[in-house]
Amino acid sequence: MKPLNYAILKYFTTVEEACADDVIEALKGQYGNFKGLRKPAVIEAVMTAEANGLLEETRYDLDKNKELRVYYHAHKEGADTINSYIK
Amino acid sequence: MKEGFSAGAVSNVQLLAAKDKLSSSFFKRGIIIGLLSGICYGFYSSFLTLGMSTGIWSQWYGPNTVLPALAVTYMLAALGSAVNDTISAVWAVIIAATKGKLGDFFRTVKTKPGAMIALAALAGGPIAGTAYVACLQLAGSIVIPITALCPAIAAILSRILYKQKLTPRTILGILICFAASFMIASTGFGGGAPKGLVLGMIVAFVAALGWGIEGCVAGYATCMVDYEIGITIRQITSGLTNLIVLVPLFGIIAGGGLGLSFDLIPAAVADGHAMMWFVISGFFAVYSFNLWYKGNSMCGTALGMACNATYSFFTPLCSWVILGLIFGQEGWAIPPIAWVAAVVMSLGIFIMAVNPLDFFKGKGGAEA
Repeated sequence: MKPLNYAILKYFTTVEEACADDVIEALKGQYGNFKGLRKPAVIEAVMTAEANGLLEETRYDLDKNKELRVYYHAHKEGADTINSYIK
Repeated sequence: MKEGFSAGAVSNVQLLAAKDKLSSSFFKRGIIIGLLSGICYGFYSSFLTLGMSTGIWSQWYGPNTVLPALAVTYMLAALGSAVNDTISAVWAVIIAATKGKLGDFFRTVKTKPGAMIALAALAGGPIAGTAYVACLQLAGSIVIPITALCPAIAAILSRILYKQKLTPRTILGILICFAASFMIASTGFGGGAPKGLVLGMIVAFVAALGWGIEGCVAGYATCMVDYEIGITIRQITSGLTNLIVLVPLFGIIAGGGLGLSFDLIPAAVADGHAMMWFVISGFFAVYSFNLWYKGNSMCGTALGMACNATYSFFTPLCSWVILGLIFGQEGWAIPPIAWVAAVVMSLGIFIMAVNPLDFFKGKGGAEA
């Protein structure tokens, strides 16, 4: 089992793009009881990764509840960095 | 990057407004966190100094001390850092446990980013921490603004280690910082300067170098490691290294051998009055470094460090209020030129870290 932050970053290396809801959905099986998997915390973790060049924003829209949904992906350099640090 | 629209949703303007609000609130939160780390640093420094001037410490530092001069300046500084950081580590573990992050802490320790933070902690903890305490003891809070050079040092190191750009604005900021250092140094030319000012300034620069290394290396690792886990790794590494390596080493250098540390460590821990202040300083140290890491990870290392460097204001201010006004200790008044230098240095750090025009428009970004 990886630390939650690692699992979030690793997840982005396995998908074309994802938003916070996708991350929560994908990781809830293993990390469902972690406070860090709550939506605001996941959004902050993902935005932090973006601020440090690991992820890149791809698009944004509104979900059916009219909530903003931002999608990110791990570009090649970001994915390489993530994979070199997180095995 | 492109905008999407949900079926029958809202106008493009509302969508853009929601996105701008998210980005803006994240950026502002990062800056506020960075500034709070500077405030916590001021409290941490003041209570640490208070602890180191109370009870057995006042005897060790007093005119009738039985300790060798080297032990008084450096071993006690290392001991102060060791006690503070060890208590701080306990606080960090408690906080991590309370937030359910203890499992992730143990999982992170064994990884590459965890090891990077531990190594950065050695530079920022035992080396910089001891230098910081020593410069406070030698010259008082007047030298604190020199330690605020660490963002400039981090920018230079980032250029060397990570090939990050050094823009003309960054170089200008660095020059302003060094000019401010010279302003502080000028107080040593008069008769009213503290006795250990020049040595204190040199030791303060060592602290800046250690934190510059830490900010550069740990800042890079913190975008992967949870900041509260990162800080737990840092404080445990720093506390134990100080306690097990640095204090005995200084004891040997001071001529007291290993026995001196076996005498001093239990005596320091047994002094309940002083330890009360260390418990408080350790608590503030957690949040000072914890929020520093968090701010760095959210704003980027350069801007995060610039926000944290406001401790160049808050440390003398807290020292003057807590030590001078509340506890009646003398020597904490700040010469006007030091305040001016602190302002100039903070301005230099700010210019170096972020484009002021972008910042005041609310669109600033870190540019290491």
